[in-house]
Amino acid sequence: MHALTACGITKAYGGVTALAGADLTLRPGSVHALLGENGAGKSTLIKVITGAVAPDSGSLRLADAEVSFASTAHAAANGVAVVSQELNLFPDLDVLANLYPMREPTRGPLLDRRAMLDRAVPVLRQLGLDVDPRVRLGTLSLAQRQLVEIAKALIVEPRVLILDEPTSALDPDSSERLLDILRVLRDRQVAVVFVSHILEEVMTLCDEITVLREGRTVLDAAPRSSLDIGGIVHAMLGQDLPTVSRGTSRRIGPGLELRGVSVPDRLSDVSLTCSGGEIVGLAGLAGSGHTAVLEVIAGLRRPSSGSVALPGGKFPSSFRSAIASGVALVSGDRRRVGLMLDKPVWENVAQVQPVALSSRGLLRPSTLRASASTLAAQVQVRPLNVDLRAGLLSGGNQQKAVLAKWLAAAPTVLLLDDPTRGVDLGARAEIHSLLRMVADEGKVVVLCSTDLDELVAACDRVLVFHKGTVCAELTDFDQHTILRTMNTGAP
Amino acid sequence: MTEVDRRVVARGARALRAESSSVLVATIVLVLLIGVLRPAFLTVGQLKDVLNNSVYVALLAAGMAFLLAMREIDLSVGAMFGLSLITSALLMRDGFDPWLACLAGIALGAVLGLANALVVQHIAIPAFVATLATMQLYRGLAVALGDGQQVTGLPLEHSFFAVLGGDLLGLPVSVWILVVVTAGLTVVLRWTPFGYRVRSIGSNPDAAAFSGISIPRTRLYVLVLVGAVAGLAGVLGLAFFTSGDPNIGIGFELQAIAAAVIGGTPLRGGVATVVGAVFGAVLLGVVSSGLVYFSIPANWSSFATGLVVLLAVGVDSALRSRQRARESMLGL
Repeated sequence: MHALTACGITKAYGGVTALAGADLTLRPGSVHALLGENGAGKSTLIKVITGAVAPDSGSLRLADAEVSFASTAHAAANGVAVVSQELNLFPDLDVLANLYPMREPTRGPLLDRRAMLDRAVPVLRQLGLDVDPRVRLGTLSLAQRQLVEIAKALIVEPRVLILDEPTSALDPDSSERLLDILRVLRDRQVAVVFVSHILEEVMTLCDEITVLREGRTVLDAAPRSSLDIGGIVHAMLGQDLPTVSRGTSRRIGPGLELRGVSVPDRLSDVSLTCSGGEIVGLAGLAGSGHTAVLEVIAGLRRPSSGSVALPGGKFPSSFRSAIASGVALVSGDRRRVGLMLDKPVWENVAQVQPVALSSRGLLRPSTLRASASTLAAQVQVRPLNVDLRAGLLSGGNQQKAVLAKWLAAAPTVLLLDDPTRGVDLGARAEIHSLLRMVADEGKVVVLCSTDLDELVAACDRVLVFHKGTVCAELTDFDQHTILRTMNTGAP
Repeated sequence: MTEVDRRVVARGARALRAESSSVLVATIVLVLLIGVLRPAFLTVGQLKDVLNNSVYVALLAAGMAFLLAMREIDLSVGAMFGLSLITSALLMRDGFDPWLACLAGIALGAVLGLANALVVQHIAIPAFVATLATMQLYRGLAVALGDGQQVTGLPLEHSFFAVLGGDLLGLPVSVWILVVVTAGLTVVLRWTPFGYRVRSIGSNPDAAAFSGISIPRTRLYVLVLVGAVAGLAGVLGLAFFTSGDPNIGIGFELQAIAAAVIGGTPLRGGVATVVGAVFGAVLLGVVSSGLVYFSIPANWSSFATGLVVLLAVGVDSALRSRQRARESMLGL
């Protein structure tokens, strides 16, 4: 008997197909890895199973009874629980209150704390969470909070439990604890779905593996013992792609150099150079150190040892000093840190060069508008109207506006962190050709990305990070090589 | 009309709309309305009085607009106003040159603003909380320095009182100073990098920091500016009242915030208008002196002022949401 079967699920958002007939079969008491590249349909499939979205077609069977969930609450009532990436907890309430959101046992109008405690204690003990349920949640460590989140899901005695990237919030030595938790879940005959990017972890923790690609199931509940990381990578990416030959990278401008840089818990003894004129990709799993390198170059994080030299020899002692020495940082989180959404595009474009960096004189809106128009045309913001509020642009055009604002400062080093997150393919290609244009002017371009296609499409070479060190420098690469290297640490 | 003319006109209209919005219209309508019902209100002397009495809150509101633009608030402006006034009065009484004492009052305001900024910075608390405390401190200092008494015995024959307390071209000198300060602060807020930084921070603090704008430094400048403006208001008040009352200016901070908000500066930050804030203060002044003409008992005047504030903000909010709806229909 299966705990849950999803069969031939399809789902399209507008014209974009997210799922094109995906299957998933879960057995009780088994830990099931759900894998796939960004955009393969993992999160949509999870949303269908948990009732967050309704599928266009396909069937869902829970313990051999056909079901269709109207809402997440409905799915939860039927025994499908999720532990999500972001912790949905209340730090100011105690642990006990956090375990029963919206479903506290009551006696009359009051909470029945006794009943709450009676049900919570065995679950907490089983998970090895040795804290008083009456302490404030905010006093717990991040790993303990993660356990509270899992306990919250277990209290409703789910038949299917989805762990959505549970290790992203846990400390490095968490695998051990996670193994224990999974053992508990197996004993309770829960069907566990484990969503993760970290293939090594999947190989140690999971019993069965399902891989999605382009909305279809390409590997259906394969036993782990029949697979290795290479095989999984192959299933995730499809047929072998031709390796793009990069030739010798062009070095036409002053470069950037890190020598023996260490940051506690992030980087150990990293040395690298990036020359003007080339686009260098930084790849790695979450927490492997590639984003820490960006932070060090941008002056957001001070290395505990080692030296950093920007083109021109300056050391980025703070973010503002880094900017003054020609560093630009484009974040993928454009809505939070990139733009003033309530302001017109021209004010956003003016934010770095005339506003943050200059100090004297008057700024004439007409001049700012004119120079913003020139830049916006250069990066092809559409519609090309700098009086438009930035919040009304599409994601790709917002990101182009962020680029325009940094190009206004004429940077010598352009740092990008997942710049095309949530950007459609057309705008993505345009942004990539803009990066090439910037590099051709002799600037250093460093691109961190979780999107393998992006690294392959945009970069001249890729440095792969593993556990805080550069484990490989790839000049001939495709998605397979990068994915395999960042998972194994060996090229 | 040439193309250039049209553009200039359009730009002028845009600037006017951005700056004064509906508060100017509301003020004029209210003055005319009171004038129609009570013609005695529409005399030059009465209107001059209204303006003269509004100058102090208007100056404080002008500074407050800067703070609101960067999502901060200063509750100590009324107390800084009072403390500067008392300190200048004491210096004059004790024989210092009144012009020197006047400069000292303005400088003291700036120093008090700096103290606010340092508290905000080093205790790492919002300006709202910091100034809630310093408001008490500064007020307490004013009362203690004045020994709880009016400071009198000032050299009233000195040119300080004649000039700053007098008239120029038919208007009180303090009103002319208000006009100059308003124009200056408007230029600073709208056309200097500093002004853009202030509004950037209010619009999205994270994006501002990620563009290299130093939030602590900008906040420090703004708090010092607000203190200096409060000090200026204090010495103008002294020139007009010719004595120092340690309790003067209690509640001005809330009136200044109300004036800025009525004038079209929202608490969410990002946008502000100094002109609007000043007219907001004038509107409040018109209301409180207009109420006298309708024989509303003094005990009810605060209640009536509250009603007017609510009405003004409500109408403004309704107008704005209609404007937004029109914009979104046009696909802007």
